[in-house]
Amino acid sequence: MTSASPVVEIKQLTKRYGDFTALDSLSLSVGAGQILGFIGPNGAGKTTTIRILVGLSKATSGTASISGADCLQESRKIKRLVGYMPDRFGSYDNMRVAEYLDFFGAAYGIGRRERTRRIAEVLEISNATHMKDLFVEALSHGMQQRIGVARTLLHDPQVLILDEPANGLDPQARIDMRILLLKLAEMGKTLIVTSHILPELARVCDLVAIITKGKLRAFGTLDEIMRDIRQKRTFEIQLVNVEQVDRVAALVAAHLSAPPEDVTVAPAETMVRFATSLSDLELAPLLTHLIEQGETVAQYREVTSDLEDAFLSVTKHDDGPATATADTADQDERPAGSEEQAASS
Amino acid sequence: MNPVIQREFFGILRSPKAFAALLALTVAFSLAVLMRWPSDAKVDLSGEQSIGVFRVFGYGLLAGVVFLVPAFPASSIVREKNSGTLALLLNSPLTPVSIYVGKLAGVLLFSLLVLVSSLPAAAACYAMGGVDLVGGIGLLYLVLALLVVQYATLGLFVSSHVQSADAGVRITYGIVLGLCFLTLVPHAFYQGGTGWMAEISQWLRYLSPLPVIMRTMGQGSLASRGLMEGGGGTLEFIFLTIGSWLVFGIATLTRLNYRIYDRSRAQGVMTDDRQLSSRMARRLLFVVDPQRRKAGIPWYLNPVMVKEFRCRRFGRSQWLLRLVAGCALVSMLLTFAAATSVVSWGVETIGGLMVFLQVILVVVLTPSLTAGLISGERDSGGWELLRITPLSPFKIVRGKLLSVVWTLLLVLMATLPGYLVMIYIKPVMWLQVNLVLICLAWTAVYTLAVGAAVGSLFRNTAVATTTSYVTVMSLFLIPFLVWLGRDAPFGHETVETVLLLNPVGAALSVIESPGFTNYDLLPAAWWVAGAVSGFMFLVFGVQVWRLTRAV
Repeated sequence: MTSASPVVEIKQLTKRYGDFTALDSLSLSVGAGQILGFIGPNGAGKTTTIRILVGLSKATSGTASISGADCLQESRKIKRLVGYMPDRFGSYDNMRVAEYLDFFGAAYGIGRRERTRRIAEVLEISNATHMKDLFVEALSHGMQQRIGVARTLLHDPQVLILDEPANGLDPQARIDMRILLLKLAEMGKTLIVTSHILPELARVCDLVAIITKGKLRAFGTLDEIMRDIRQKRTFEIQLVNVEQVDRVAALVAAHLSAPPEDVTVAPAETMVRFATSLSDLELAPLLTHLIEQGETVAQYREVTSDLEDAFLSVTKHDDGPATATADTADQDERPAGSEEQAASS
Repeated sequence: MNPVIQREFFGILRSPKAFAALLALTVAFSLAVLMRWPSDAKVDLSGEQSIGVFRVFGYGLLAGVVFLVPAFPASSIVREKNSGTLALLLNSPLTPVSIYVGKLAGVLLFSLLVLVSSLPAAAACYAMGGVDLVGGIGLLYLVLALLVVQYATLGLFVSSHVQSADAGVRITYGIVLGLCFLTLVPHAFYQGGTGWMAEISQWLRYLSPLPVIMRTMGQGSLASRGLMEGGGGTLEFIFLTIGSWLVFGIATLTRLNYRIYDRSRAQGVMTDDRQLSSRMARRLLFVVDPQRRKAGIPWYLNPVMVKEFRCRRFGRSQWLLRLVAGCALVSMLLTFAAATSVVSWGVETIGGLMVFLQVILVVVLTPSLTAGLISGERDSGGWELLRITPLSPFKIVRGKLLSVVWTLLLVLMATLPGYLVMIYIKPVMWLQVNLVLICLAWTAVYTLAVGAAVGSLFRNTAVATTTSYVTVMSLFLIPFLVWLGRDAPFGHETVETVLLLNPVGAALSVIESPGFTNYDLLPAAWWVAGAVSGFMFLVFGVQVWRLTRAV
């Protein structure tokens, strides 16, 4: 699911360091005002992708563009279009926040008067106005992250790329960061955010890309990914007494014509679980059927999956050695939804 | 065995740089002796040749100790503090004393290796004859051993107070050079005199190892005036050096506990938020008030240059103004002292001293400003941020270099009144003064280029600072070590050639400073300085280009 006009577009991006393939035919696109959660284990290729996007690194093959500007060929244009916050804050000793932002504003060529206004504005957006007279190196990590976001906003970029913005933040700071990211998306900014804190990411992202060993394993909305990676959904039927358990399990298996391994019982919990690929509409008669058979059902619910489940599900099948040579892109290994995403863009 | 000693000592030994330094020193000592080893069958009854070799060896060893020893302890404690391992050590059953002893012993054991690696060369000197075993070689090693402990304790002391490894290296080298050279200056004016100033200047001189070493080498000490030198001083030097160990040691031990982590996050009150009277008072006191809110960077200034001025601890405007004021004061004091001292100084000698002081200032100041220009950014993560701004590599480099150029220019300009006084006293010297000023400008450019190029080759600021200091100081001290050995063991041509290595010799020659009048160094010294500076700027430029391109 991307908007009609993608702002960030990556096609068949490959990056090799000698024999090591850090990125392997990565393709994805992100529309205006969308937040892309870019996740993957350490060394998966997230930072390599980001560095290519901001013009700090050169792709071996493939293209990456932002608002139509090629990330490598038009690096000057890219610098104006992108606000990048690396995972390291990059502080300067002995400088106050206002001086720090003033320097970066001047580096982006923003006029003095306009710069003063922008500094006040970005500090306001990142809720950091009270920090302007503080020394940068003395700020706490959470405060530095906010100033980092303020710095990326100074030249009013169209795209913000934030590498691990929630890393090391306390719960309150993390909530503040989440609110800030949503606020930026509301302002029409396109955001690419990497993080290891998946529940946090799941709350703000419109799109999720899961990358492991340089390959895109899944890309789409969280719902799309969940649907793609989990062919069967899991449901739980909470019963009131233990005698019901086997009886209900048999009824469920018979009603759904399910294979025995898909229906499991947990007598201690007075629970029956089953996995099914049926739609909600097809499943609806099951509850009626159970009640008609005289069974008392305390609860009937779907076991929800979250981004962590999706991530683990994608990465657990990928614990082999790192790709050492360029893989011939096997279509079967293409990430769920990636073809559609690329096509829709 | 104390685990800290084990880790420190073997940690240093495992470092390829330490191994390279040891190897380089051993090769240098051997070559120095081999170069002057007699190649014919003539008997040197006077022992002049062997003493000449011993001088080169002794000064080389002193330079080795001065350059190498402070680097390791200067970053030792602060590096552990910043990486968090010091907290683990303090939280372990190890006592602060055992941690301190462990760190000190690690450095001392390495330094012992440096001294041991020089022993074959020392034995060769002794074998040539003419060198006293106890009063010559023995005393030299005793003084060096005392210095090693002094520099190690000093380095650890500084390291326990600073917030970054490169600051530790900078400050330690600054103090070491101050102890070696600046302590000699007051004595040059008051020697032979009486009164408390003469007494203080005499005791200050005892802090420097140079007079003792020079006497050991059979030479009059630096800036001494023949019979007025007074002699002695070895015992005083030993007494003061051992005293300094204790002071530095105790002061460091008092920091090795919770206090080292006690750092206030208080930011101070901005001057703009103070009362009018307070604002006025601060304006008078600071001229450029560091607590005042800064106006934005104007369009006509290079933002990187302004950033460099603002973010370095030493080099912000208020410090520069203090430095200039200090230079002007020293320049005035120099004139006053020359006019009132018991010694009759010629204008040439005063000129030589001014050149000498300016060069020390430039050599001490410049590597600390230039070494971290690139490595500091890479160390802090700022380089990545600079790369994603629209600033071109050329603009970044220009801004960074300009920030140092302005500082050095201010330092050089601050002593102009002194030279004007010289021209007033002896008008015929105006051409010489001009030539000297050109030499000094070249010295500044040369130091800047070397410091920046060498520093840019390293990712770690502390390593970059150490290497820059060692390179710059080597380039400035080696010609003078050779000059000290003029006539024996080095001939006129050798000395003249080596003096071309930097423009200071030319400046001293132009101003007709004693000992330099026989050398014709201009304009060759300018050409050499230009070529070396050009090459170094090229290295710096290539390194910046390499670091800014997308790969």
